[in-house]
Amino acid sequence: MINIKINGQPIQAEPGKTILQVAKEHDVHIPSLCYHKDLNPTGNCRMCVVDVKGGRTLQAACVTPVWEGMEIETNTEKVMQDRKLTLELMLANHPQDCLTCDVAGDCELQDLAYEYKAEVPAWGAKGTRYAVDSDPNPFIRVDMNKCILCRRCESACAEIQVRDVWGVSSRGFDSVMVAGAGVPMLEARCESCGQCVAYCPTGALSNKMNYGVARAHQVRKVTTTCSYCGVGCQFDLQVKDNKVIGVHSNPNAPVNGMALCVKGRYGYDYIHHPDRLVKPKVRRYLLEGKQKSDIRETIFDTRKSNIELSNVGSPWAWVETEWDKALDIVAKKVAETRAKFGADSMGFLTSAKCLNEENYLMNKLARQVIGTNNIDHCARL
Amino acid sequence: MTNKHIVHKPIPPEIQECADKHGGSRETALEVLKEIQTLHSALTADSVTDAARALKLPPHHLYGMATFYSMLSFEERKKVLRVCDGPVCWLKRASGQSSVTSDQLVSEWQNKIGNDFSVERTSCLGLCDRAPAVLVDDEQAGPVDVRDAKKVCEGWRGVPTDYSKPRKGEARVMMSLAGKIDPDSIEDALANGVYEGLKNAIRKTPDEVISEVEVSGLQGRGGAGFPVGRKWRFVASEKRTPRYIICNADESEPLIFKDRVLMDTNPHQLIEGITIAGYACGASEAWIYIRGEYEYQARRLENATEQAKSKNLLGENVLGSGFSFNIHVHRGAGAYICGEETALIESLEGKRGEPRLRPPYPPQFGFRGQPTAVNNVETFCAVPHILKNGAEWWKSLSNYTTPGTKMYMVLGHVKKPGLFEAPFGLTLRQVIEEFGGGMVKGSKFKFALCGGAAGTISGKSILDVPIDYSSAQKGVSLGAGAFLICDQSVSAVAMLRELLHFFAAESCGKCTPCRVGTWRALEILDRMTAGKGQKGDVDELKTLADLMQVSSFCGLGQSVAIPMKSALALFGEEFEQK
Repeated sequence: MINIKINGQPIQAEPGKTILQVAKEHDVHIPSLCYHKDLNPTGNCRMCVVDVKGGRTLQAACVTPVWEGMEIETNTEKVMQDRKLTLELMLANHPQDCLTCDVAGDCELQDLAYEYKAEVPAWGAKGTRYAVDSDPNPFIRVDMNKCILCRRCESACAEIQVRDVWGVSSRGFDSVMVAGAGVPMLEARCESCGQCVAYCPTGALSNKMNYGVARAHQVRKVTTTCSYCGVGCQFDLQVKDNKVIGVHSNPNAPVNGMALCVKGRYGYDYIHHPDRLVKPKVRRYLLEGKQKSDIRETIFDTRKSNIELSNVGSPWAWVETEWDKALDIVAKKVAETRAKFGADSMGFLTSAKCLNEENYLMNKLARQVIGTNNIDHCARL
Repeated sequence: MTNKHIVHKPIPPEIQECADKHGGSRETALEVLKEIQTLHSALTADSVTDAARALKLPPHHLYGMATFYSMLSFEERKKVLRVCDGPVCWLKRASGQSSVTSDQLVSEWQNKIGNDFSVERTSCLGLCDRAPAVLVDDEQAGPVDVRDAKKVCEGWRGVPTDYSKPRKGEARVMMSLAGKIDPDSIEDALANGVYEGLKNAIRKTPDEVISEVEVSGLQGRGGAGFPVGRKWRFVASEKRTPRYIICNADESEPLIFKDRVLMDTNPHQLIEGITIAGYACGASEAWIYIRGEYEYQARRLENATEQAKSKNLLGENVLGSGFSFNIHVHRGAGAYICGEETALIESLEGKRGEPRLRPPYPPQFGFRGQPTAVNNVETFCAVPHILKNGAEWWKSLSNYTTPGTKMYMVLGHVKKPGLFEAPFGLTLRQVIEEFGGGMVKGSKFKFALCGGAAGTISGKSILDVPIDYSSAQKGVSLGAGAFLICDQSVSAVAMLRELLHFFAAESCGKCTPCRVGTWRALEILDRMTAGKGQKGDVDELKTLADLMQVSSFCGLGQSVAIPMKSALALFGEEFEQK
């Protein structure tokens, strides 16, 4: 351990840690924008500058390691003024549309502007430099006018998703984030995981599916586990008026952290889809207590007359029913089959969308109730 | 779900061939991009993507580079004429006629020279001794005016400067053979004592060589004046190998052209200096990172390394000493920031030339993450003389506390602008009167831009301050040794506008204060030079300068404040009146 001082207060710090990390551990607030704990720090935005005694310039806390005897001032007048000015330079080229912006209330730039009372300078906001909603990606909305070039999207894409879609083009004031060689994201190997959106501190990258549906304070967060596969990623469902309107990363998720795949992050629209089955359906002939052999003839009839098998009137039609009724039919058929052809005539295939407990029960059903070892799981494929 | 937007198509054979030819590694990305540009007369999103696939890199890496370096372009062009937009060329033009903006200049040239050429502006070409200068594809030309357009088309390239005769009072060491030998002949060089320093060096141990350089007190000539011996000691004491030497020949600072002259007049002197550094630091390879605009000098250096190899002064087992060393020449592609040593290393590794986080510094973590010594051309050129004549001799060259000689450039409104070599401790008055031949007729000294674009704007009060690496605190910086002398006709506001125009064009865009600060300061100064200054402008310029100085990521942003602050302090009234 080494001894440092932050704002005059003596602190024992672990060598190798940065000023920002040590400050955070000791509840000293230093603002940051381009820094994120999951990503390699870059020192781009200069919001976290602090005064280190003896330094010719201010130091960026996110990238400066602590050393023995270091004396740090985090909120001198000069430091506060420079942070405010840096913010103003960012705001000057940022649209003043917080009133209608989708991420207002969930925007790190907005929070800092509030904290530092930074206004958009009178000379700023000279119009729209880039096309709004400029990328055809079906899930991710791109508005580079709001970008502050923190480059978190680049790091997230490279370090977490390892797709390397985002990069910086041009230089100086003309710098802008681009996908691949300045092409639409999907042409630049993007798999629409949305990590870039999750790490974007502003509204430059946002979600297209629920754009304009709700502000951060209007939604209830429900932490849940993804139902798509067995990894067990956690995330926060965004619920408004009892409807799931989106998925946000939950930074405290034990398995996945902020990372999600396209299915977990954007595959939520089945929840309220009108085609979703919420009650069981069975073939009409089963409901009527008939055997397949009884109605075999109708197949040939329908084929001859070009009638759809599932027409409402057809014995093959799917009819909505109660769970008890449906399960009775299944149980009866299973018992019959087992009695007639033996247990090993049957096989069980379970799903990765089921819980572990459900898969365990299926296993019990196959081996103990039915008496066969013919059980497998889709995740083996 | 398969991404329907990715349709597999094979890499075009010519691009694959180009990547294979250069070795297919990331470090060759810049060469590959340049070659594809020549092949297709422009880059396209497709060709950049294909090149990235051939080099097994994500496309944004190459696209980021292609849009970063000013010599790479997505616009189709046959021949390119780059018009120098540096302060010296600006001053030359401004004195002839009223101020011309770079856009006007480009369109004037375009009208005169016809559509065979694509005309574009470029930051200082390093041809200040031949101002006003242009670059015709990769051929340097100057002095040429718009009126010479037709002659330029026909192949006229102006007149190169003759450096064979020293000025009165000069003390030539590095320039001693300038104009006296054929720079492309190693026999000539050997007959005149070049490589004697190397022969002396390899008779010593590497440690003794470093000690000799340490004793000599040689300071880095790039502008910061870091002790060379100490830097080499850092590199040599790192346990990891291989270690590398990098020669910074990316001379992009406006007003500075000394390195070009040194490479042009005596390339073997540089090769010798780098080899001595390699021996001292225990390095195996060196790169000369030369700016893309110096194609002619790059070829000359390549030729010189080949000649040195043929004489066993480079390559395996140099002069039977058991020390093996190679030097490669790497061309940049137009980016001022690549003169910053960590940006240079990034660029050499085939990336955008953006500065790295420091620490770790290059002696610990440099090229390919290995211990690396980065020094300026002039520094390396001084080394052979120290090894040949001894550290004490080097110290005796100067009566001043800073030992040795230095290349100086005096430009602007003096009778004899140009380059000379002299000991340290000169005052600006000496530079103007003794070496520059005095002010031109009718001119009165108003201010000087000292050191380079990132130097102080200094007025009369400092005319008698001896100049060295620490005199910036007294109001006059040495930088890389250039002084642009301006008379009463030059407006400090207009000069500062030119400088900010340069910085805004060359800022890499990594950090906020420099990216937006330079742009905003230029916006204000543009307005001021048009006589439309507003209340609060001067205060805002001061605030921006303060911010950039302490909050920027690298030296570029931090030093923009030097000319801004000194000009505002000296000519505050002039700024207020605009």
